[in-house]
Amino acid sequence: MASNTVRYPQDMTRRLPILASACVALFAASIFMQRLIDPGRQAYHAQENLRTTQAAMGGLNNEFMLLPLLGFREAAAGLLWVRCDEFFHSGDYDAILPLVRLITWLDPHADNVYITGAWHLDYNFTDSSERSDRRYIAPAVGLLKEGIANNNNIPDIKFELGWQDFDKIKDFPGAVEAFKMAIAGPYGDENIFDPAKNHTIPKDQDNEGYWPYAGPLKDIHMLAHAYEKEGRLPDAIATWDHALERSTKLLRDKPKDFGNKSMHDAELHNRAEILQRYYDRYTDLNHDHNNPSKLPAVHAAAANGGGKPGPFDIALRPLIEVPRRYVLKVSGRVNLADGGRIDVRISDWDYKDRVSDKDLRALQPPDLGQTILIDSISIRKDKFAREMDMSKDPKMYSFSNKLGPDKTGLYKIVLSFNTRTTAPHIQDYAGWSGEGLTDAQPGRVFYVSDEAQLATKMIEGEGGKGPVWDGKAVPFPFYGQPPRVIRVTYKINQQQVLGNKPITDADIVPNDPDTTIMLK
Amino acid sequence: MIAWAIARQTVNEALRRRIMWVFLISGVALIFLMPLFGYLTAPKDSQTVLRALGLAAILLAGLFITIVTCIYLIPVEIERRTIYTVLSKPVQRYEFVLGKFLGGFITVAINILFMGVLFIFMLYLQSLKVGLDRGFFACITSGTFAPEMIRGIFMTFFQMLLLAALTIFFSTFTTPIVNFFLSFGIFMVGNLSSVTDSLTTNSNWLVRGTGTVIHYLLPNFGNFNIQNALIHPVAEISNPNEYMRNNIVYALIYSAVLLILAIIVFDRREV
Amino acid sequence: MAAAIEIQGLTKEYIDIWRKQRVEAVKNLNLTVEEGEIFGFLGRNGAGKTTTIKMLLGLLFPTAGDATILGKPMGDNSVKSQVSYLPEETYFYDSMTAWDLLDFYARLFKIPGGERERRIRISLEKVRLQPEAWKRNIRGYSKGMRQRTGIAQALINDPKLLFLDEPTSGLDPIAHAELRDIVASLRGEGKTVFLSSHQLADVELICTRVAIIHNGKLLVSGTIKELTAGDVTEITVQGEKLTNGVLPKLEAIAPVVRQGNGTLQLRANETEKITAIIDTVRGAKGEVLSIVPHRRTLEEVFVETVQKEEGV
Repeated sequence: MASNTVRYPQDMTRRLPILASACVALFAASIFMQRLIDPGRQAYHAQENLRTTQAAMGGLNNEFMLLPLLGFREAAAGLLWVRCDEFFHSGDYDAILPLVRLITWLDPHADNVYITGAWHLDYNFTDSSERSDRRYIAPAVGLLKEGIANNNNIPDIKFELGWQDFDKIKDFPGAVEAFKMAIAGPYGDENIFDPAKNHTIPKDQDNEGYWPYAGPLKDIHMLAHAYEKEGRLPDAIATWDHALERSTKLLRDKPKDFGNKSMHDAELHNRAEILQRYYDRYTDLNHDHNNPSKLPAVHAAAANGGGKPGPFDIALRPLIEVPRRYVLKVSGRVNLADGGRIDVRISDWDYKDRVSDKDLRALQPPDLGQTILIDSISIRKDKFAREMDMSKDPKMYSFSNKLGPDKTGLYKIVLSFNTRTTAPHIQDYAGWSGEGLTDAQPGRVFYVSDEAQLATKMIEGEGGKGPVWDGKAVPFPFYGQPPRVIRVTYKINQQQVLGNKPITDADIVPNDPDTTIMLK
Repeated sequence: MIAWAIARQTVNEALRRRIMWVFLISGVALIFLMPLFGYLTAPKDSQTVLRALGLAAILLAGLFITIVTCIYLIPVEIERRTIYTVLSKPVQRYEFVLGKFLGGFITVAINILFMGVLFIFMLYLQSLKVGLDRGFFACITSGTFAPEMIRGIFMTFFQMLLLAALTIFFSTFTTPIVNFFLSFGIFMVGNLSSVTDSLTTNSNWLVRGTGTVIHYLLPNFGNFNIQNALIHPVAEISNPNEYMRNNIVYALIYSAVLLILAIIVFDRREV
Repeated sequence: MAAAIEIQGLTKEYIDIWRKQRVEAVKNLNLTVEEGEIFGFLGRNGAGKTTTIKMLLGLLFPTAGDATILGKPMGDNSVKSQVSYLPEETYFYDSMTAWDLLDFYARLFKIPGGERERRIRISLEKVRLQPEAWKRNIRGYSKGMRQRTGIAQALINDPKLLFLDEPTSGLDPIAHAELRDIVASLRGEGKTVFLSSHQLADVELICTRVAIIHNGKLLVSGTIKELTAGDVTEITVQGEKLTNGVLPKLEAIAPVVRQGNGTLQLRANETEKITAIIDTVRGAKGEVLSIVPHRRTLEEVFVETVQKEEGV
């Protein structure tokens, strides 16, 4: 680069300060004009979004779309996500959904957006009592499935789907499938834990000796928990064994790492706890453990092949009152220990999820004209009670279906107790599959017949023989019964919802054959 | 008068540039073929699509014509050394810059005017309600003009004025190819006026500061994007005349800033 | 007589930041050109001639020094209405005709409409450009036609001072002679011409004074007569014995310019020395082949001066 110090002609030198001053003055004038123009332009753009897109997009201007046109798709997606974050903080949740849709459209590999978007859908659409709007769960599932389809080579979104099933929906078979998918990776093989048997996956020395895609240990842990919740104890134990295999190696490589040590210990503890619980609940082996439960009903059921003195009659006696319009007080008595919960579902009689498992199009808008509420009521001193005030959230609980002979609406109230999701001390005598419980009232005992759930029978593990304990092989008792719940269903109409007519036992109807209705 | 003489000569030279004709013909072709793209059963919908396509064609063609015309005006004179016989005459350097700018902009204006007239004409044709079977005169007078489209063309005109000034400024010290990308890039960013405006109210001070600088420092081409209201006449804008007037004043002021900067740089340019 | 151009200490220095080099294109140039003269500005390629002219015309800016053009400071815009410039290559707008081009330039001089047409006509006739070519695009012109157009645009404003950079380069002999004569006639019109050229024969013919510049430095300036002063006679001699002992005697009298193939060429500028050489050669039984009176040319002066500067 050549430059030189020069002497400019006088007239040029003379006019420089004049030009510079004029430039500064005019620039200031341009700022002034721009400030005059800005409100006009904002108002002008406001006209473009009286109701729809931009209002739905939280007032986001469509000039953002210029970035994708320039090839900065991912940058646009990133900026929109920043914008979305602002809405998270300000609580303007309605604005988030269309943005999530747009961002994942612009950048299908924005995995965090799928995950956070689904979390948001699951947990942040709530009523005044912080109960989640269940209608958004199906779109969340769709969103995650789309994310998985677009990002098959990472475990994160698959894990999120598993977590959603495990924590929110309580669909444990679904959670198992999702966690298995997360661990298996894009190759998806039955032999997810045995790379030697999996010929399609090469070994990757950098990744703990496992295939390139190896899901992290937390995925394996959650799989084990999901198996346990499902009641597939041998599978749960086998999964803990695989986790232990990995964590042992990690500990060997870094013996002083406190995190590795804690994890290893936790895995050992969880595995032992399953076995302990199993023996405690299903055998008379009380090795180093006193069974504190007052009624070893499970044990009794095992010994007697289902005969007396068990199963234990929990005698669920619900009472549903309507003190005010759209306010349902669900209460009653039940012979269960404190710590248990009664699940409640109040919904349209014909409530249906909008999205099927096969539909991969995410964020199908839910039918916001439908009504559903799912909650659980804790049991204290054999009683349970909660007032569900749905009058404060008319948009969520519109009670507007047109079913029934007078087309004013028909609704369903389901009360359910599922030992699968209850506390361990209740499971101690109720069993994982409800073997130890019953209800003398007719129609209350309900067998879950859903195919996925059926697979969760207690089956023999480890080659047909039981585990070895004190040198003796203990046979796994066989419980051929599918999981069973105690459930009661009411069919009510609009007048009863309004409190004009009482809800009584006469309104009790046979339980819904759809065994998954408490899951959504 | 000298600037005007230079402007005339510049227009003559610029209108001979083949690349300018390429973009003009593309714009004209797009406008001409508009009805094919915009065919919809409902005439009102067709008009809407035609308006959108036409304004977009004028803007797009205008954008490229402005840039490719103006990037060469000064550098080519220096490169081919035709500037020697001009600046050795009693021509002030600022007269040269202004003459070049005027010439470039008049060239652009001619192109936009041509496309604009054709656009209005095509819209009129599309709006004809009576067929030729009822008589030529009856047919040809049965259409409706869309005078509000002139507003859109006007806004594009001033947008291009601003862009021409920007390009001329860059041409005083960069090569044509660098200038092309600079001008194009700033045009794109300048169109994000609403985005940069929203940054000026961000909670984070760094974002707010940066957004403010960008919003007021860069020319706001986005101010001129009023196509939506013109395409959908049902959308009402309050004070459209005031808005347009403010924008015209802004364009003139900001262009003056850019031209002064160009003069300051060019005064010191050795040729 | 007033000075048309007065240059004092004019310097142009380029600094290359990356290579940390300083290049002085023009070094402390001091020069005066009187009104009414045709001044030849000579130098090798890259000597700084065009740089000097461009500084005087305000196309480049000097690092140091001053100059006046027709009494006004260099770079003053108002004086340019009395000045014109023909650049080294004819850089014109090819899509224009000669007439349109001159019309454009005339507008730059703010010459009003009717007067413009008259001046264009006069200028084009003066440079003897065929009338049928006046309204043809310059793109189709020959080199000679372009040069004529160039001189025409330099005359359009009837200037007092013309800067002509190689006006006759690349022309055929007839066009060359014609244009040279046109330039020479300008002096008769009272114009001052600052002529930069490599055509030393032309310069010698038409210029009143010349300056030689090399590597940005002025080496010598003066009238042609002053520079080429010192006629010499060239004597060519031949002989076997000349190289044996007689050579030193001859060298003592006059310098040996060339030696080879048994011949010697000597130069002497006084009659006594010429006689002494002849006697010495004949005494050594040598032969005097020729005695040629030789007038120094500008080319010789140029080459000698430059080579001396270069240390050759």
